[in-house]
Amino acid sequence: MADVRLRGAHRAVRGRRLTERPNWGAGVAAVVWLAFVIIPIYLMVKDALQTTDSYLDGGPLSLPRHVTGHNFVDVFDRGFTRYLINTAIVTVASAALTVLLAFPAAYAIVRSRSRAVSGIFRLFLAGLAIPAQATIIPVYLLITRMHLYDSLTAIVLPTVAFGLPLSILVLASALRDVPRELYEAMTLEGGGSVRLMWSLALPLSRASLTTVSVYCALNAWNGFLFPLILTQSDEQRVQTLGLYNFQGQFSSNIPGLMAAVLLSAFPIFVVYLFARRWLVAGMAGVGGK
Amino acid sequence: MTTALPAARRGGVRAAEKSTDRAARPGVLWVVPAALFFMVFAGLPLLLVAVLSFTSWNGLGTPRFNGLDNWSRLLSDSSVWQSLRISAILTVLCWAVQTPLALLLGVWAAGRQRNRAVLSSIFFLPLLMSTAAIAITWLTLLDPNFGLAAKWGHYIGFPDGNIIGSPRGALGCVVVVVAWQFVPFHTLLYQAATRQIPQSLYDAATVDGAGRVRQFRHITLPQLRNTIVTSSVLMLVGSLTYFETVLILTGGGPGSATNILPQHMYMTAFRDYQMGYASVIALALVALGTALSLLIVRFSGFAKMRSTLEGI
Amino acid sequence: MGETPLSRRTFLSAAAITGLSAPLLSACGTSGPAGAKGGGKTVQAWVLVDEAQNRVQNVAIDDFNKGSSGKVKLLPISSDGAVYADKLRVSMGSPNPPDLLFNWGAGSIRNYVQAGGLVDLSSQLNADTTWKNSFLPSVLNAGQIDGKYYGIPMRGMQPVVLFYNKTLFAEQGQKPPATYDDLLKLVDFFKGKKIQPFALGGLDQWPELMWLEYLVERAGGPTVFQNIAAGRPGAWRDPAIATALSQIQDLVRRGAFGTNFNSVNYVNDGAGLLFAKGKAAMHLMGTWEVSNQVERHRKFAETDLGFAPFPSVADGKGDPNAVVGNPTNYFSVSTKSVDKDAAIAFLKKEMAAPAYVDALIKSGDVPAVTGIDAKLSASPQPEFARYVYQLVQKAPSFTLSWDQALMPQFKTPLLANLQKVFSGKQTPQQFVTALESVK
Repeated sequence: MADVRLRGAHRAVRGRRLTERPNWGAGVAAVVWLAFVIIPIYLMVKDALQTTDSYLDGGPLSLPRHVTGHNFVDVFDRGFTRYLINTAIVTVASAALTVLLAFPAAYAIVRSRSRAVSGIFRLFLAGLAIPAQATIIPVYLLITRMHLYDSLTAIVLPTVAFGLPLSILVLASALRDVPRELYEAMTLEGGGSVRLMWSLALPLSRASLTTVSVYCALNAWNGFLFPLILTQSDEQRVQTLGLYNFQGQFSSNIPGLMAAVLLSAFPIFVVYLFARRWLVAGMAGVGGK
Repeated sequence: MTTALPAARRGGVRAAEKSTDRAARPGVLWVVPAALFFMVFAGLPLLLVAVLSFTSWNGLGTPRFNGLDNWSRLLSDSSVWQSLRISAILTVLCWAVQTPLALLLGVWAAGRQRNRAVLSSIFFLPLLMSTAAIAITWLTLLDPNFGLAAKWGHYIGFPDGNIIGSPRGALGCVVVVVAWQFVPFHTLLYQAATRQIPQSLYDAATVDGAGRVRQFRHITLPQLRNTIVTSSVLMLVGSLTYFETVLILTGGGPGSATNILPQHMYMTAFRDYQMGYASVIALALVALGTALSLLIVRFSGFAKMRSTLEGI
Repeated sequence: MGETPLSRRTFLSAAAITGLSAPLLSACGTSGPAGAKGGGKTVQAWVLVDEAQNRVQNVAIDDFNKGSSGKVKLLPISSDGAVYADKLRVSMGSPNPPDLLFNWGAGSIRNYVQAGGLVDLSSQLNADTTWKNSFLPSVLNAGQIDGKYYGIPMRGMQPVVLFYNKTLFAEQGQKPPATYDDLLKLVDFFKGKKIQPFALGGLDQWPELMWLEYLVERAGGPTVFQNIAAGRPGAWRDPAIATALSQIQDLVRRGAFGTNFNSVNYVNDGAGLLFAKGKAAMHLMGTWEVSNQVERHRKFAETDLGFAPFPSVADGKGDPNAVVGNPTNYFSVSTKSVDKDAAIAFLKKEMAAPAYVDALIKSGDVPAVTGIDAKLSASPQPEFARYVYQLVQKAPSFTLSWDQALMPQFKTPLLANLQKVFSGKQTPQQFVTALESVK
């Protein structure tokens, strides 16, 4: 995974002629795309700020007659806080567990000479191919037989399992970039495998750890299928399912529904505002593999 | 297996470095927790899908073996083949819409101008939303009497706003919503890759008098070849995840116009409660996923892995 | 065919392997197994999400919880009946199913009964004749499976009724249709006035089924569907089916539902709104339309909402008094309930109790309870309530909605193929062939 900071360093060196010349054709396309992206978002925000009556009477494009924050209050009254907390628990647990499992595995895959390890690596590579939907029936069966049905744990377990292959792949390619000489140097100072991983490999693969965490966290935050099948009660509901349910509850109260949609994306939006580079690099990193 | 080469390769490297490398090597135990976890929650379910495909089970009680019944039914079940066809159409359409868009936008966004930076940060907003949020939002826009479809439907050939309710319109809706959601991600990939093209290539071309279009065709496109492959394969494999969009947006309808294979499996399993037969469809999905992922490994990860292996 | 139960050991060993990783997980601080059932033996009652109804159900629950050691808790699951049924299915297959479950009787619970998941309430009902006689027999009996009672009526009766905008009709000098020919004339009339004759939430598919149900009932009587439900060979080939489907295609061609009906939802109030805003003149819908309109568009519900029976069809074999729809919803008790006695005690004490019946009536429902003629004036729509009460009492048959009555594997093909007929993508013959091939 190309290091983001390195890329930044090239920036100054590279010429600024072509890339900074105005490009009218692409510019027009970009503006059209901008409109396409922004209109639904604009409508979302605008609708969330008006009353149902003003939405229905004014039609989809009218400006709100009065701005109201009532819809947001309404969403919270319907227990959205709990959904957000549940989602946060699932997100943190999934990301932490994935990294905890994937990093030692990736380290061993790169450093170990055992045939068994390379065999297992092949298994993970093959695992990239398993679409989560295809296994949902037995996953459901397993979870119910383990008496985990309708719990947040039930969501975390398969989410982590299906996040592992890509995480290990990303981490392994990053660890391969750590020069062999560094391992040898540290070994001379008397380091075992644990110390090598902890004080050498870990600090040097911070960028891909970010990538993997962002990838797993986003996956868990936005997960829909596992919560849909593996949970049922209001107590265990995550935000995506909360939205899905609100759809019927709000019926023609589109402003209320849009307020819920906005609130569901709000935490990620805050991360985006304050750690944009980090988030974007994380997403691009996964794609780069 | 496609992964045979890296392993073999490592064997070769291993012999060469043996004399100098004395650093500690972790054993197989380090991989066991991850492997075990993966086997239980992904490997075992896969195995169970295969077992369930030979059973009849309605979700209650215990599955019963029924031999090859489900499989012979697959052969004569036109609805599965129709779903497969719809899946293929949708995948190709999504690819054909997203790739040129993401490519152009990515190259454009790679520029360092301030306005491009600002605009790109807006482009990426859909990345922050979940599939559920996006599908629900679009569904409200598509109401033919009170949504945006009522106002603007006639611009795109749907004067009565009947977009999501017509077979073609519904398929189009899925493509548009998927593009809205995923083009930003692929733009990101192209943006990052474009920034890595050496400026010297363009400088030389400019000296030779090549215009922008020629530079794009002869420098940018070839240099982005790997990214195009990666992004395309991600799209192809990702097309299996359009299921959530379809479930919320159209539920496979109208009729079965958007009934893609994962949706068909979901309905068979969790609405018709034919878990055994649904497992057969699930296996078809796995086969598809494997075929597409082999592409990933062959075209992108594979080459990269080989080059990075040299560094061990 | 020789079916052998899949060895229990396969699953047990799977669970054992899985157990190995459980300590790993708890070490990472994720939440433990959910305590949805923890904290005493609360009886969970699963219902459809419906603000007005959930309030009423809580009236009964609060009353019961005050006077009993067993406690009941309401769990509204989803507002979409199809999603609710999915969730119920998944939960019934799990080790901790709901204790009390809202259902539609017949096909919606037949599998659960066969799997031994529901408590047979016959002896309870027969032992307590006052309790049994407090429900309308036709409705109570509609909840029977193989001659046994598995459900207690818990909601109002929900026949499908032809709603119309009476203010709009008065302005245009029109009357609700008495015959199918009247209906066709009204379609042409309103179309000429640029008003959509019927609202129809085709996106959700099941509203389209109501048309088929009534037209088949009028053309061939209740036996047509009884044969289908019983799985008799050739039942789908009854000429009444083809007749009804052709009538539907004729209605679509005449523009009875406008052109964009397949984009209109019912669940999210798309069709109801169209009707309430005067953009559609009529709406064929279950009686719950009234409480929805009262909740969402009160003014329209109070001044404009008119109702009529589905018109008679000339030459049809069906009785024009027959109705289709949902006789009612039932509460059934799960055999795996944490506290079966409390669940049954709740049904016994509350389902025909005056407070609950009054609350139902106030919400606009017409409970399937005997001798409530006088109470119906407390309904927000007393005229409508009395009308429904009479309608059901004089109906010779009450056919349950097909998607609820048939076995689950029919549901998707039935709705999907009917939607194709509505959008003109399929002929009646193709529809029949498609449904005959469902196994």
